[in-house]
Amino acid sequence: MSLAIVLVIAAALALIFILGAAVSRSLQISAGAGLAGQIQPIDVEAFRNLIDPAEDDYLRRRLSAPELRLMRRERLRAMAAYVQTAGRNAAVLIRMGQAALTAGDADTAEAARQLVDNALLLRRNATFALLRIYVALAWPNSGLAVAPILGDYERLNGSAMLLGRLQNPAVPVRLASTL
Amino acid sequence: MLQAHSLLWYYLWVGPNLILLALAFLLWKRRLHKAYPFFFAFAVVSALDQLALYAADIIPSVTPQWWWRIFWAGLMAEGLLKFALIGEIFGRVFDTYPAVAKLGKFMIRGVGIFLVFAAALAAAGAPKSGRFGIVSGAHVLEQSTYLIESGLLLFIFLFSAHFRLTATRPTFGIALGLAISACVHLATWAVAANGGLIEERNLLDFLNMATFHACVLIWVYYLLVPAKVAASPAVPLPENHLDVWNRELERLVRP
Repeated sequence: MSLAIVLVIAAALALIFILGAAVSRSLQISAGAGLAGQIQPIDVEAFRNLIDPAEDDYLRRRLSAPELRLMRRERLRAMAAYVQTAGRNAAVLIRMGQAALTAGDADTAEAARQLVDNALLLRRNATFALLRIYVALAWPNSGLAVAPILGDYERLNGSAMLLGRLQNPAVPVRLASTL
Repeated sequence: MLQAHSLLWYYLWVGPNLILLALAFLLWKRRLHKAYPFFFAFAVVSALDQLALYAADIIPSVTPQWWWRIFWAGLMAEGLLKFALIGEIFGRVFDTYPAVAKLGKFMIRGVGIFLVFAAALAAAGAPKSGRFGIVSGAHVLEQSTYLIESGLLLFIFLFSAHFRLTATRPTFGIALGLAISACVHLATWAVAANGGLIEERNLLDFLNMATFHACVLIWVYYLLVPAKVAASPAVPLPENHLDVWNRELERLVRP
């Protein structure tokens, strides 16, 4: 009978989560307009410095082993914060892209599809990167490679800008202000 | 074989299945059966299976053993169709997004293997009945099927929630109804398969039938009632954020 109790509890928890997902889906659909305000800008350069192997080599030369471990943990926590923000931004862009998928204009729909795909890739990589960061937090001396996430974020920027340009043709979007 | 039950009992046994057959007919009329072939097949087979069981229950010449044989046959056909339907739901939610489709397929296979092992362990732990093996075996098979089914559906909901992917209205409705039904049936069949509430088994049957009725109504709502058209379907990206991202890109392209 204890097995039945375990299964009943598991089924109840699963049911609560599924009903919660149903409620949040209807809230998501109705709260489409405020999505853009949820995007948090990320200092990509600072993030790039954080994951730069040369920086790590420099610190290894200058610091003692206990200091290096402490410093690496600090840097990993900062990295995790950046990656979490990138993942959250990707989630917002997925929702914005999905909202634009139904657009009548074929170019906008295609740009939206591309944005969703890039944002999904970023969110997937952010999840993996976070896992690696948490593992590295436990073992600060292990190797860590979160660099691919940077490339994904840049690609995502391009997709978001293309979609913005297609949805607001009146507002020119510059890729570089000095060009 | 007919046992005396209340009118509500008979309604809950027959009513939802007639509604499900009507839903299948309307899907066929609207040519939606081509978009959701496994749901259409599931609706027809599931409804006919339950109506056949009801008929077998009221026909005096049908022995209990034959009733349980029909039950087993329906259980296996329905089980196979449900897993095909879960594959259909998964494909409809994730196949259009190559960035996560491959990972999703890899993970759902892993989850499926884990669930099969968990179901086998749970089945091994259930009490055996030599005299009424056909009955207790059916309970264990129901428990195993619903354990795997609810686990797979929970994975689909978790995976899509993590990636903030929203399924289309009909796909979401089908998945929601199937998942609610699977979770409630898992709980009730787990109690039945492990010998619980023997004196109050009718309560479990009532709960199963009422849940199935609610799920049929969910399917009718999501498949036949059109969604409200949103006032502004497309969400424009604000200029200021693009500018911030522009600056970040500029820093990257000009080290």
